[in-house]
Amino acid sequence: MEEQVQKQSWWPKLVKVVSDHPLVFIILFFFIIPFIMPYKALATQIIIWGLFALGYNVCLGYTGMLSFGHAAYFGVGSYTTGIVLIRLWPNIWFGIFCGMLMGAITAFVLGYLCIKRRGIYFAMLTMAFAQLIYFLAFQWVDLTGGDNGLRNIPATPVTLFGYDLHIYEPLRFYFFVLFFVILSLLALNRILESPFGQVLQAVRENEPRAKSCGYETTNVRWLAFVISGSISGLAGGLHAIYLHFVGIDSLYWTTSGQVVMMTLLGGMGSFIGPFIGAGIFLYLEDMLSALTSNWMIFLGVIFVLCVLFFPAGVWGTIKNLSTRKKD
Amino acid sequence: MAEGKKEQVTQSGIDRRTFIKTTGIVTGSVLLGGFHFVRLSQAQDTGPIKVGFPIPLTGPYGTEAKDQQAGAELAIAQINAKGGILGRKVELLVRDTKLNAAEAARRAKELIESEHVHIMSGVLSAANQLAVNEQCKLHGIPYVSVSQANEITQRPDNSIYTYHEAMDPHMTTQAVGEYVAKKYGKKWYFLTSDYAYGWQMTDGFIRRGKEYGAKSVGETKHPLGTSDYSSYMPRILAAKPDVLFLNNFGKDQINSAKQATAFGLKKKMQIVCPILLMSSRLGGGEEPFDGVIGGTSFYWEMNHPTAKEFVAAFQKANGRPPIDYAGYAYGGVKEILMGVERAGSLDPTKLAEAIEGRTYDNYKGPQWWRPCDHQSQQDVFIIKSKKAKAEYDVFQIIQTVSGKGERLLRTCIEVGQNPSKPIRSGLIEKK
Repeated sequence: MEEQVQKQSWWPKLVKVVSDHPLVFIILFFFIIPFIMPYKALATQIIIWGLFALGYNVCLGYTGMLSFGHAAYFGVGSYTTGIVLIRLWPNIWFGIFCGMLMGAITAFVLGYLCIKRRGIYFAMLTMAFAQLIYFLAFQWVDLTGGDNGLRNIPATPVTLFGYDLHIYEPLRFYFFVLFFVILSLLALNRILESPFGQVLQAVRENEPRAKSCGYETTNVRWLAFVISGSISGLAGGLHAIYLHFVGIDSLYWTTSGQVVMMTLLGGMGSFIGPFIGAGIFLYLEDMLSALTSNWMIFLGVIFVLCVLFFPAGVWGTIKNLSTRKKD
Repeated sequence: MAEGKKEQVTQSGIDRRTFIKTTGIVTGSVLLGGFHFVRLSQAQDTGPIKVGFPIPLTGPYGTEAKDQQAGAELAIAQINAKGGILGRKVELLVRDTKLNAAEAARRAKELIESEHVHIMSGVLSAANQLAVNEQCKLHGIPYVSVSQANEITQRPDNSIYTYHEAMDPHMTTQAVGEYVAKKYGKKWYFLTSDYAYGWQMTDGFIRRGKEYGAKSVGETKHPLGTSDYSSYMPRILAAKPDVLFLNNFGKDQINSAKQATAFGLKKKMQIVCPILLMSSRLGGGEEPFDGVIGGTSFYWEMNHPTAKEFVAAFQKANGRPPIDYAGYAYGGVKEILMGVERAGSLDPTKLAEAIEGRTYDNYKGPQWWRPCDHQSQQDVFIIKSKKAKAEYDVFQIIQTVSGKGERLLRTCIEVGQNPSKPIRSGLIEKK
């Protein structure tokens, strides 16, 4: 009997433990992903997009701003890293840093222009500016390669104490990316758990009230937007190094749409939800497109069903179910 | 197992310090320890020879992609029937790129890193080709490209690993421009899709036109994916050109041809589509393309022994005649595999030596590999759309523009190569 009781109740507990210490479990899970995915490049793709979705969620999930233009920060990060590596200094650390910085600067400037609007106006404005950047990159062929994309990004070796790390070997590259992902997870976790993180959620729940408590809510939102942009830029920079190529589509609105889908699929209310969403989305896309060329229909149906029946996303639903069972 | 883990975690009750310590240790070991159990992947020397073939099966070029696949499959089936290459069977690995360059790059990466393909081919659209080419250059995999692009044979994109079996936009404009200048008058108007492909077309025509005294009387650039061209038509009519070039592709070409027909432009000028695809003609119908001329690398009714053999074999396997993209894929895949057979190994330098400077005739007449940039020199056919007597009987070849003596190609110096030396850039020293 005792065993049965334990058996019935282990998984809500596990879910609780996981959601109490999401970071520990994400990091543990990271070590398994490359070995359970059909191929290593997919695992790398998942953690890069997971990072992007996580950055996006600072905007959508924590502050309640539905941005439809995050392709801009991802794309600008990609192009900056690529261009810096090609033209300025072939040093990966510097390149990635510049990508992140440029993502933040772009978010700072566009944020200033968009942040005072709310709801649908905010979504349309962010999307319009993102498309503006897309067309700019499309026409500026000398710098970006235009429609053909940015090529010839050098594969510069990364050394540690004089020892070549051979990071372009698939599994090593995964861990190289993972290093950045873990650093940003720690940083984001610190930010969102801090009083500032609480203010973000206060703004999301009731902005006038947060305002009347003395918070400069516009600036708070702006800062959240910049943080979100810098993480997106970092993800973009990693993506550029991952493929040695930046496609013009990385700036297109479909990229923005994809990150929104991932975030909603995984659950925007939680810290790790977006990561899970990115994993599920990319895995399904990969699996379904191998089976049928009409994979989009199936992915679309899954997405619609998720939004209709599990509005809290995959992770949110698991969490809700487990707490309900416990009572 | 899960239970044990849970117990540990709950009982120890991770506080912030232990948490930071653990994550610190974990992160450190990611960088150092994690690397030790990795071995560098090795190329397989036994088993089948694998050919990676990423193509845009979903998306607007799905029809062409399916023909690419059928062409490559035919080439490989024929080679396997004769005992394979170097005594090994050949295997084709197809992947969907969704006509997205980043996706194409990722698929190529997967094929190289996880499937360990020996040779890469396929891909449609310039951007996708260049993205896949990047991956191939990085890993030292020979890549025979079977769709049009100028950049792929140009520095810094090309390398010893890059081969371009298809025509490039420049060749097309030189051949079509020459024919049009001689036959249809010297006042040219361009309706151009506003991106690299369209610009390259216009530049190529203006350059060729100058040699024959033809000049541009105007150009209208339209955004990619425009559906309404009616506002452009009065300007074109007012410029009174002899020839209207539609420098666009796919749906845009069909829509602009339809509206040009509706506005009665055909009565006043000749309409030219530089690249006239059978799939566009079948998709757009007879009316809009009636009397339109254009260039192509291959048309299935052409009268040439190797072409007839290829068409017969393709029709037997697929129940329909091949389009030009099937021809590229068939010719390209066959040529590189036969190159491996002659070279006796997959060594990139030996393979290049076995292919460079070779004259071959796989499906359309004599072709020649230029050593300095690995571009295939070939004839271009001028075709005219006609009233169809049967389902696939849609064009008539009105002229063969010879490609002999590099007359349609950019010079080696123009593409950034040394004319007297074969291309050896990008060669990776294997340990």
